[in-house]
Amino acid sequence: MANSIVALRAYRDGLHLIIRPHLSITEIEAAIQQEMSRMNRPLIGTSVQIDLKCPTLKEEEIAYLRSKLQDTYNLTVRSIESPDEQASPPIAAAPTTHAISQIADVQNSRDSEPSRVVPYTIRSGQTEDFPQGSLIIYGDVNSGGEVRAGGDIVVLGALRGNAHAGMNGRLSAVIIAMELVPLQLQIGNYVNRRPIDQKPRGYPEIARIGAEDIIIVEKFVKF
Amino acid sequence: MGKVIVVTSGKGGVGKTTSTANLGTALALLGKTVAVVDADVGLRNLDIVMGLESRIVYTSMDVIEKQCELSKALVKDRRVDGLMLLAASQKNNKDDMQPAQMKAICDKLRSTHDFVLVDSPAGIERGFNNASAGADEAIVVTTPDVSAIRDADRIIGLLQHARIEPINLVLNRFSPELVGNGSMMDQADVLDILNIDLLGIVPEDSGVITSTNRGIPLVYEDASPGSQAYMRIARRLTGQRIPIPDLEHKGLLTNIVNWFTRKR
Ligand SMILES: Nc1ncnc2c1ncn2[C@@H]1O[C@H](COP(=O)(O)OP(=O)(O)OP(=O)(O)O)[C@@H](O)[C@H]1O
Ligand SMILES: [Mg+2]
Repeated sequence: MANSIVALRAYRDGLHLIIRPHLSITEIEAAIQQEMSRMNRPLIGTSVQIDLKCPTLKEEEIAYLRSKLQDTYNLTVRSIESPDEQASPPIAAAPTTHAISQIADVQNSRDSEPSRVVPYTIRSGQTEDFPQGSLIIYGDVNSGGEVRAGGDIVVLGALRGNAHAGMNGRLSAVIIAMELVPLQLQIGNYVNRRPIDQKPRGYPEIARIGAEDIIIVEKFVKF
Repeated sequence: MGKVIVVTSGKGGVGKTTSTANLGTALALLGKTVAVVDADVGLRNLDIVMGLESRIVYTSMDVIEKQCELSKALVKDRRVDGLMLLAASQKNNKDDMQPAQMKAICDKLRSTHDFVLVDSPAGIERGFNNASAGADEAIVVTTPDVSAIRDADRIIGLLQHARIEPINLVLNRFSPELVGNGSMMDQADVLDILNIDLLGIVPEDSGVITSTNRGIPLVYEDASPGSQAYMRIARRLTGQRIPIPDLEHKGLLTNIVNWFTRKR
């Protein structure tokens, strides 16, 4: 999935292309293609720094990627870095909407998973687990309640408690709620580090793993 | 055939005993026959709040242990017709009672009284299980703060699991001033979370404390806002359709400020 493997982000020192752990170079190529197609303005000639967050990439693969970026997408690669420490937060996300990848997930995909509908509110002290696939809650998940799913979690109400999507490791899993004011979110083994704003915004939001290895929350538009 | 209503909350100190005493008295003042049952074994309070502590001879534990008949253990309140108290044993603890034994007592009282109000202890363990064992319906009492609401939510889940319904909400210690300046949740926020029917709102009223100390339930004092709130709730319990007044009577300025700073 493009968003969890490759992401373009605007930092203070210019555009960065972040590459995270993946299974193969073809997967990265597909993810780059995906990320580029999400840009709604041409990036021809733009200088970009590659942030490698994947120690597994071989020398010749890095060289291949550099030439691919320059030849196919007309980007100038100004440097390639493997940062250890946490990068400073982006000053602005690259100009995209957060369309979700249609690329099949390596471990499991959204369309091959079963889903379970829960037609009631999950109250304090109650839990709903569905490791086989995605959960759709026709109600709220209240503070003190918990929902966990192998796939996505969609709450057609307010999410005020805890939610853990992708509990089997599917990092492309997302959490969507009409009102996203959770105590804690987890996707795969990523837990939101910063507390999520508890003020309802009046529109649905989506949480997913962003390129900086943190759970990001954005206005939900559509799949 | 009457109905058994458990008054419960999850969190302690939110006003279960105060509500049981006042609603029991109010229902009796409305001409109903009422038994109020203290299920807080080991930490009984209801007798004090009702002002009947000096007259208790037998408790529900004596009835269970067949030391006396149920009718003998009931203490009649002499201030109003049709009101009786079944006290809890102070020397036992909650594990000395079985849910089935409490249910048997409730079943008997249901056949002789219009309303049986059971004052539940705080918590979700045995004490709650005993108190709710014989209940047809529930009143969940909460104050408008997040921890009480979370515990109320927990209790509602357990009551639903036990198929006790309807479950109605009493919002206690509500303060229009604090809601007005934004430091207390308003009733819409509370209902949005708990999603059950609102039976009534009882304002913060210093009269509650003095009435508790004197052992005279607030509903005997007509003028107090808390008394009026409990009387309205009692009328609703008898099936009368009494609107819930808007306690959030804020000034025009607060309303305008709130309009601009609304959360949604
Ligand atoms: N509306 C009110 N205004 C002011 N004080 C109140 C109000 N309701 C309750 N109180 C006070 O709050 C305290 C706790 O009330 P109460 O004993 O009824 O709670 P409870 O839920 O039965 O507690 P416990 O869980 O210990 O049984 C008492 O001191 C009472 O006087
Ligand atoms: Mg009490």
